[in-house]
Amino acid sequence: MTSAPPDRESFEAEVLPQLDSLYRLALRLTTDPTRAEDLVQDTVLKAFRSWQRFQPGTNIRSWLFTILRNTFINEYRRRQREPIPMDLETIEPYATFRGTDEEDPEGTFFSQIVDGKVLEAIDALPEDFREVLVLSDVENLSYAEIAGVLGLPVGTVKSRLFRARRQLQRALYDHAVEMGYLRKVPGAR
Amino acid sequence: MAGGPDCQQALALLQDYLKQELTPELMARITTHLRRCRHCFTHLKFEESFLTMLETKAKGQCCPERLRLRILAALRGTPEP
Repeated sequence: MTSAPPDRESFEAEVLPQLDSLYRLALRLTTDPTRAEDLVQDTVLKAFRSWQRFQPGTNIRSWLFTILRNTFINEYRRRQREPIPMDLETIEPYATFRGTDEEDPEGTFFSQIVDGKVLEAIDALPEDFREVLVLSDVENLSYAEIAGVLGLPVGTVKSRLFRARRQLQRALYDHAVEMGYLRKVPGAR
Repeated sequence: MAGGPDCQQALALLQDYLKQELTPELMARITTHLRRCRHCFTHLKFEESFLTMLETKAKGQCCPERLRLRILAALRGTPEP
């Protein structure tokens, strides 16, 4: 099978439509708009330099996310105090769902939370959880695609996603109680 | 009844079900259970509310126009690979 040699036009046609997704992932990884912009630009230029290696017909998003994440890890990540994952082993897995069971069983309170607060809560997750959550639940990658981007077994992706969602739900539940969207249910925690 | 073996299976597979990453047989089996079991159905709705919220709120952010322009300028100043 032959394919046309890669050129700037084909690169721009494939990659430019992905800038929003790249920027969102970069923002969540760096948690800083200026650094996110630099990371996206570096990612796109690196992708351009290795465009010959991209196999047409394979997943462009996974390919770009992989470059972005590797660039982040190698050049952008600051060794910072990592948020501590909640000790989910000791709490009931669906505690948040149980906590809202009587008052708001279908979780309508989630939609009341303002965008900025949701993003803040995502950024407060440990990085391992945050990247899986964003790739899965914002960018809609499959388990296999996420496993490819992160270089992890699918089983690890699944368990991290499970824990990330539980931790985020917990944080948003606490926020909703604080804001008065929900009443605190005794013993919910 | 909540807590029976069907409920346990549905809950254990809820995440994979929502990602539509089960075999068609299992997808159908869980769907059937969710239609019959109010407790599990509510749980599904709760997770769906969460995921819809997450996608809508987090997708509101777009690449700023100035970054798009900056990238285009950088690309066009870069020799062909």
